[in-house]
Amino acid sequence: MTTPAKGTRSVYREFLIEEYTVEEEPFYVPVGDEIGLFEAAYEQKIPVLLKGPTGCGKTRFVEHMAWRLGRPVSHITGAGGNGEMRGKSIPLITVACHEDLTASDLVGRYLLEGEETKWIDGPLTRAVKVGAICYLDEVVEARKDTTVLIHPLTDHRRLLPIEKRGQVLYADDGFLLCMSYNPGYQSALKDLKQSTRQRFVALEFDYPDRDVEARVIEHESGVNAPIALSLAKLGEKVRNLKDYGLQEGASTRLLIYAGKLIKQGISPRRACQCSVVWGVTDDGEVQRSMEEIISSIFE
Amino acid sequence: MTTGLADLERELERFPSSVVDEFRRAAEKLGPRLSEFDVNSWAKQGVDIAKQTVRSWEAAAEYFRSSPEVLELLNATQLLEWGRHGSALCQESPSLAVSFFRASPRAFQSLRPRNMQIWANLGKGFYRGTWKSSALSAKFFEISGPVLETASFAELESFAGLMDLVAHKSADLAAECMAMGETVLPRVGNDRPAFIRLCRAVAEANWREVKGCFEAVPKVTAFVQEGQRARFMDMTADMAKSGMPNISLFIHDSATSLGRASAAAQGRFLELAQELIPRSNEAAAAFLRNAPSLIGRVSESQVEAWYDYGLRILMDNLDGGMAYFRIESNTSEQVIEALSSAVELDRIADILRMYCRGLAGAEVDIANSKDMAGKNIGWVSEDHATTEGTTVYLPPEMNKFGSKDENFSFFKVVSTHQVAHIEFGSFDFDFDAKGNRFQDTRHTREQEALQEKQARLEARRQQQGQSQAPGQLLNRPDVQEGEILLTPGLAALEAAQEGQVPQTDGAASAERGYLTDMGRFFDMFPIRKLALDLFTVLEDTRLDYRVKAEYPGVAPAYRRIQADALSQRPDIKEMALQEAMVEFLVRFSLNQHKNLPVPTEFIDQAAVIAEVAKRLLHTDAVVEDTAEAALRVYDIIAKMPNQEMEEEDWSEMDVSEQEIPEEQLENLLEQMREMAGAGQGQMGEEEEGEEYESPPQVDFRGDFKPELSQILNTLRQQAGQGGQQSGQQQMPLEMLEQMLANSAELELDAESGEFNADLAAFVQNLVKEAGSQPGTQQPGQGYGPIPHQEEEGSSLESKDPKTFVYDEWDFRAGDYKPRWCIVREKPMAEGDTRFYTETVHAYGRLMNQIRRQFEMLMPEEYRKVKHLPDGDDFDLDAVIESIIDKWAGLSPTEKVHWRRNKIERDVAVAFLLDMSASTAEAIDESRRVEDWDAPDDPVEYMIWLRSRRGEGARRTYKRIIDLEKESIVLLIHALETVGDTYGIYGFSGYGRENVEFYVIKDMEETFNERIKRRVDKVTPLHATRMGPAIRHTIAKLEEQEKRTKLLILLSDGRPQDRGYSREGVEKEYAVHDTKMAFVEARRKGITPFALTVDKAGHDYLKTMCQDMGYEVLGDINSLPSRLPMLYRKLTF
Repeated sequence: MTTPAKGTRSVYREFLIEEYTVEEEPFYVPVGDEIGLFEAAYEQKIPVLLKGPTGCGKTRFVEHMAWRLGRPVSHITGAGGNGEMRGKSIPLITVACHEDLTASDLVGRYLLEGEETKWIDGPLTRAVKVGAICYLDEVVEARKDTTVLIHPLTDHRRLLPIEKRGQVLYADDGFLLCMSYNPGYQSALKDLKQSTRQRFVALEFDYPDRDVEARVIEHESGVNAPIALSLAKLGEKVRNLKDYGLQEGASTRLLIYAGKLIKQGISPRRACQCSVVWGVTDDGEVQRSMEEIISSIFE
Repeated sequence: MTTGLADLERELERFPSSVVDEFRRAAEKLGPRLSEFDVNSWAKQGVDIAKQTVRSWEAAAEYFRSSPEVLELLNATQLLEWGRHGSALCQESPSLAVSFFRASPRAFQSLRPRNMQIWANLGKGFYRGTWKSSALSAKFFEISGPVLETASFAELESFAGLMDLVAHKSADLAAECMAMGETVLPRVGNDRPAFIRLCRAVAEANWREVKGCFEAVPKVTAFVQEGQRARFMDMTADMAKSGMPNISLFIHDSATSLGRASAAAQGRFLELAQELIPRSNEAAAAFLRNAPSLIGRVSESQVEAWYDYGLRILMDNLDGGMAYFRIESNTSEQVIEALSSAVELDRIADILRMYCRGLAGAEVDIANSKDMAGKNIGWVSEDHATTEGTTVYLPPEMNKFGSKDENFSFFKVVSTHQVAHIEFGSFDFDFDAKGNRFQDTRHTREQEALQEKQARLEARRQQQGQSQAPGQLLNRPDVQEGEILLTPGLAALEAAQEGQVPQTDGAASAERGYLTDMGRFFDMFPIRKLALDLFTVLEDTRLDYRVKAEYPGVAPAYRRIQADALSQRPDIKEMALQEAMVEFLVRFSLNQHKNLPVPTEFIDQAAVIAEVAKRLLHTDAVVEDTAEAALRVYDIIAKMPNQEMEEEDWSEMDVSEQEIPEEQLENLLEQMREMAGAGQGQMGEEEEGEEYESPPQVDFRGDFKPELSQILNTLRQQAGQGGQQSGQQQMPLEMLEQMLANSAELELDAESGEFNADLAAFVQNLVKEAGSQPGTQQPGQGYGPIPHQEEEGSSLESKDPKTFVYDEWDFRAGDYKPRWCIVREKPMAEGDTRFYTETVHAYGRLMNQIRRQFEMLMPEEYRKVKHLPDGDDFDLDAVIESIIDKWAGLSPTEKVHWRRNKIERDVAVAFLLDMSASTAEAIDESRRVEDWDAPDDPVEYMIWLRSRRGEGARRTYKRIIDLEKESIVLLIHALETVGDTYGIYGFSGYGRENVEFYVIKDMEETFNERIKRRVDKVTPLHATRMGPAIRHTIAKLEEQEKRTKLLILLSDGRPQDRGYSREGVEKEYAVHDTKMAFVEARRKGITPFALTVDKAGHDYLKTMCQDMGYEVLGDINSLPSRLPMLYRKLTF
């Protein structure tokens, strides 16, 4: 937990990654049976793949699940856990995948310390040890040789070979591998290999329908219900433009940003322009079209 | 008759008899009016003339013949003087005198006798002893009379002066002008002096143009306002004096163009043009030619603003200014666009299209409403917006309001309204679906309607004393109109008679013979038109409310346009009652809730109608509610007599905000029905009064045709299902025709023959439209297909598929010429694969070498990069070194990591081959010997001959293009190894309208046999207009999402084409345009490279490629090996 040095003022909160837990219930409005499915998968130790466009709530869902699964005391048996953690959320280790993510970045590496080398566990290793949910965000971005690394963890073996140390690590019971994947980037280069994706159960996410989205926006941004509904309506209309000039529709996240700006007193049209229009596209014509939609919806 | 006279007569007998005859006739007439002395003198004069030369008797005869008439206008002395002048002319040439005498009677009607001598001399002046000149002077005398009828003698004189000037150059031309002068001069009216001044100026500057001037002048009188003509002509004269060519064309064009402006504007334009003359004639001419046509797009004062801007450019840069006034520069277009308040659909269609798609969430297209009317499938209005469910049709231009924003918001409101039809389900009407605001009475009403029809049929049958079964009745040819007989209806009727309960599932409508649910609904109403109008206005009421509720942002503009529409409604009080009640609803729907004019007698009914309409003002009202509302309102209105009401019978009512409960409303409606039923006794079923006519539609709502739209959608679905469906499911055409004939949405003339023909054509069109799914426009390609209108020297439009319009850079104007070139993309024809295979063989060794080199490129991507501060892992060597350094007391390096260089090849390349005629040149002159030696052996000879015929003259020497082709073959081989995306294109063409762009291999195409065959067909063609070809290639490359994009141009020389420079000769123009095209490529992240085999290439390539890469190949033969190497160098 927070470990400020004695005598100094705590100006930031710092965690070891395996000790990071979600403390308060993250707001999440279920759209379908995804919570039940995730719980079942967790129970059966089946890795989960979350598919869906950006900003539709995948990460929030994982946070929510980490918190929700953590509530029953019995689930926590993590090696890294101590008494304090009981009754709290399962640790959640998030790894943002990028093009240069290597196996060492996940598993761990030797560092030089003085005249010796010292082994440092990577986030995946730590998660495996403590029984955390390891969430690989945007996994397609990672290099293919990296994604292969997780294969032994995702089938019945549930073990992580640590090549450099000549070790094999069994996963804790609480460990769950979870990845997110945005099928929107339909590029041949950035597709998951079948051998990887077939190791997961997949939950498909999409932007929620207007009413649910309005609830989310209202809660997250604090705007009133009519504005939230208008924002949700805008989101719906903008998403209609996908493939007609837009690569992606406006995400719920952007709509929430717009809501937050509105909450701060920015005029709705302007707020939407900054957060939604300019955020989504650089194409002048498309921007203009979206602005027209905005000016139709907002006064 | 005196002796003197008799003697003279005798003298005349020596000449042909006509002379004496004429003399006698004239003498008879003159005798009584002249003194004897005068007669003698007169006769003497005639004889003298006759005696002058061999052929002068003709003049004498003419003299005698004209004399009596002339004497009517002149006195005796003058008559004799006239004779003397004639005689003098005769001395020059008898034919001169003949025409002088002949023209005199008419001329003297307006010619003052004192000018007689000058006149004669003017005529004489033209004569230069030749036949042509005598004809000319004859012509002059001939036209003088007619001309003088309107013109003064001074003007005639100056005209003669002008003609004389022309005649010095060409007598023929002068004669033609003279002939035209006869008609032109009177036409010019009081501006004759100006006209003559103009012609003089033209004649002095360039005499050949005078005739054109004469020809063009009627345009001036036709188009230029009377007060402005002199100014116009003087101005033109100034221009001519300063040496402007093509005056007549200018007069013609600018006069026609000025005709579009008002009198005041004409004056102003002329003033402005006048100011330009000292700077540039051409600019002034262009200004006059274009300025008036701008009116309509911009106001007159805005034209001046446009002018001012142009003047500034002109002072700065002459060429730029001229291009500006010719509207051949983008700046000019932009200025106009900025000034104009008009909004053109073309410019905003893309925005609106996306806007509509966003709102509707479906594939919605925006198109010009002219297109819809042109399809002849039932929508006829060209200026009104409409939609048929997939496309929103909008008027081509909007300039109704004072500002761009307002005009744009009109478009926006219109499209929002049209999309609302789609978004809020106007076309999804389901006969069996429930509404939210009304109880369903459709089904009971349908039963009633059927029974009513049945009863009427029964009555008719009894009337006619026939006992035909209803089934037979169906086929009766004499079924009259107005009986609401229609096959589908009867089919349903039959079903009803046979006791079948109407099915309620979705397909029921179709099974019962209704094409659409909408059709089934309208079929219930005897007055379909009224039903349609009511449905339309109520649906619009619903949608307008819904739109304003859903989109509060657009509501203010919406309300403004509604108010505008309301203000343009016709006077309700002049309408017949039923129409007035519809109009009442229209006004209600346009938000007029107060002071609605209503006939006093029917104020209760109006209140109920308003009450019904009000129930649609809810966000949960659906299209079925509209139908129910229409049904209820129809019941009330249809019972009213359709007559005009007296002025005093009108009063005004307000519609309250409050809604009455549903029960109460139903009760009221019931009352109404009963009241109407009671009233029926008085008025009878067949109302007196006029037939119902629709009130004019509301502009912004456009044509709403729910039934047709549903039909179209049904047809489209069927077309989409294709052959899967069994034949019976398909709509038979006859049935469709019948359905449509009955629809109130069609406005076909009811003259039976024509009607049927129209209908048949119309049905055909409709089916075709349905088959050819909503037109797909390719986005972002040039300027898209637009109706074509070509003018010399103006922008071009691409109208064929696969043609693209591009701007061209005018370096002197420093601006683009908008839409200047048309690129026509076509696939290269396919030939033989032999060229390909032969090349592969010929270059086998080189090819393998290249391939190996390219293959070696692959591992390069994954080379380890060492000595990095951070990386994949430690570099053991570096670590050891670092530790040793540390132990040794040196400062150790931190760069101990390595990483794989992960640069993936991500390349798209386009090769552009110059296929201009010059590539046909042999690369080695000495080897240019045709192989004309036929083999001696007969068999070989046949083979030889066949091959010659098959391939045209086969060359033994290599041309530049052959080398280009060979290098392409090698390159294809290399590129296939690396796997880069590549396209190969050839270009040539002739003129800016015809830039041919041949696709040898498109970017997306995979390499195949056909491409091998296409390479064979690459041959030298025409010219080299590089700019547009490069621009088109850029467009192709832009579609590629690659990190590295390359454009490699392979040419044999400088760019050139007909008119690829302002005056056709300046090479610089083409070079600069090409350069600009390269710069554009750079801007778009494409690396251009020019490879040329022109040894003299360095000079212009330096300009053309400035900071870009280029290479001039010294040895042409090295091209095939050089190109792949170069490519390697460029991409790694």
